[in-house]
Amino acid sequence: MTRQPMIDEWYPVGLVSKLSTTGQDTMLMGQPVHVALGNGGEPLVTAQSRRFPVISRFGHVWTSLGEPKKDLFAIPEAYQPGRRFVDVGVVRVRCSPLRAVENFLDIAHFPFVHTDILGAEPHTEVQRYEVEIREREDEVWATKIHFYQPQAAKSAEGGITTEYMYRVPAPTCSILYKTCPPRPGEWDVITLFVQPLGEELCDVWPWMALFDDTTPMVDLIHFQQLIFLQDRSILENQMPRLLPLDPAMEIPTRADMTSVAYRRWLKRHNYTYGAQLVAQ
Amino acid sequence: MDLATLAWKIEGMFPNALCQWVPVALSVDVPAATVSPGWLPGLELALWRSAAGHIAASSNRCPHRGMRLSHGFVRGENLSCIYHGWSFGPDGGCVRIPAHPDMTPPATINSQNKAVLEAGGIVWVCDSNPKSPPPDFHGLVPVRSLTIEASLAALEAAARAVADGKGLLAATIDGVRIHMALAPLAGPQLLAHVLVAADSTCEDRIAASRAAEAFRRMAEAMSPESAAA
Ligand code: FES
Ligand SMILES: [Fe+2]
Repeated sequence: MTRQPMIDEWYPVGLVSKLSTTGQDTMLMGQPVHVALGNGGEPLVTAQSRRFPVISRFGHVWTSLGEPKKDLFAIPEAYQPGRRFVDVGVVRVRCSPLRAVENFLDIAHFPFVHTDILGAEPHTEVQRYEVEIREREDEVWATKIHFYQPQAAKSAEGGITTEYMYRVPAPTCSILYKTCPPRPGEWDVITLFVQPLGEELCDVWPWMALFDDTTPMVDLIHFQQLIFLQDRSILENQMPRLLPLDPAMEIPTRADMTSVAYRRWLKRHNYTYGAQLVAQ
Repeated sequence: MDLATLAWKIEGMFPNALCQWVPVALSVDVPAATVSPGWLPGLELALWRSAAGHIAASSNRCPHRGMRLSHGFVRGENLSCIYHGWSFGPDGGCVRIPAHPDMTPPATINSQNKAVLEAGGIVWVCDSNPKSPPPDFHGLVPVRSLTIEASLAALEAAARAVADGKGLLAATIDGVRIHMALAPLAGPQLLAHVLVAADSTCEDRIAASRAAEAFRRMAEAMSPESAAA
């Protein structure tokens, strides 16, 4: 068996704000791990005698079962002054971690799954947008996405056309940059960090860095949790559970250009943990 | 015992050597403008009825991104997927892709509809080209369907009988006679469509429904899976 390159990637395993000395048991790619606060106040990720590398960033504790070849990606925009960080918490989903990311990259479902919040009929059209695999950064980017939204964010009043950009810097992580209603010209940052528990089970950790001084934190969290619970009802009912990388298995259209690029990028890197290579 | 009876004795459920059709639901359980899940062996279905009353059985996997179509919705004469709203007509052809409202969907996009027919209040579906019609349960009418978590062997033991030449398993529970057409479900479950004599009164049907529930409890208690649990 060849080594799965996803082993060498960084994954979220918990919130920094929720760390304790007793710690928490969790799972990463089938490996049970323990996440706790060390004596010196540093996060520790361990399994029996093994100790895994750790990074604290974006409100989360990150670790890797392998030997990471590079640092965890950066999100420079997130650290502009004036942003509020929102630890949304965790949503467990019975689906492939890759399916969870692909759903996050998709806007065509807004009118049907997030009805009257992120989309509404008859505003279903997905205009042409741009997608590329940026070779230097080795990331998937989708830009110039415009979509009509009845309530784009907790801070949005009434319908607006929102502009989106998506970025995939790691196989189970995506960052969404989205028009920020109270601050034209700036982008809200909404991320999806997925912890692969197994190939068909994941913990999804959304995190946000917003320009929004007014909405109470609890409302921001509830808004985002509602969205992800709606997504979960989809993700747990896709067949097969694994993400099919065989192009004959599912039919994309122009609206799915981001998903097509994401699948191509996964295949190119052999990031196939949670994927199905041949149609069954 | 003639050959046909022997075949039933071996099979006991639909589909089988004599009948490729599977009784997937009662007609009354798929009202107009609704969709619900159904099963063929190894294949999930979305059973749906158009607003005008046309019945259809699609593969439950949307050809776009694999969403279960049984979670979708019926509008007019079409079934729509809940994920991105792709709509499929009674023949399975995709008629609308909301992300591209001006595009005519390619004819190759299809929800893989199966052969379906309704007879005697039962919806029958067939995965292949059926050679003959489903059996005629003459003199009987369906009352209800129920899911039983037991093997066919446990059902036959509980009924102290095997299925007859038409594929019906009969049982008498506390003096109430019921007939069941059995079909496989996902996992260790069976779907039993309960039938009674066509001249049964309303009270008879209620009694038959209760008898079927009692029968389910007996069969589930006899099943090795439940004994182990
Ligand atoms: S998965 Fe059915 S419309 Fe997209
Ligand atoms: Fe969504």
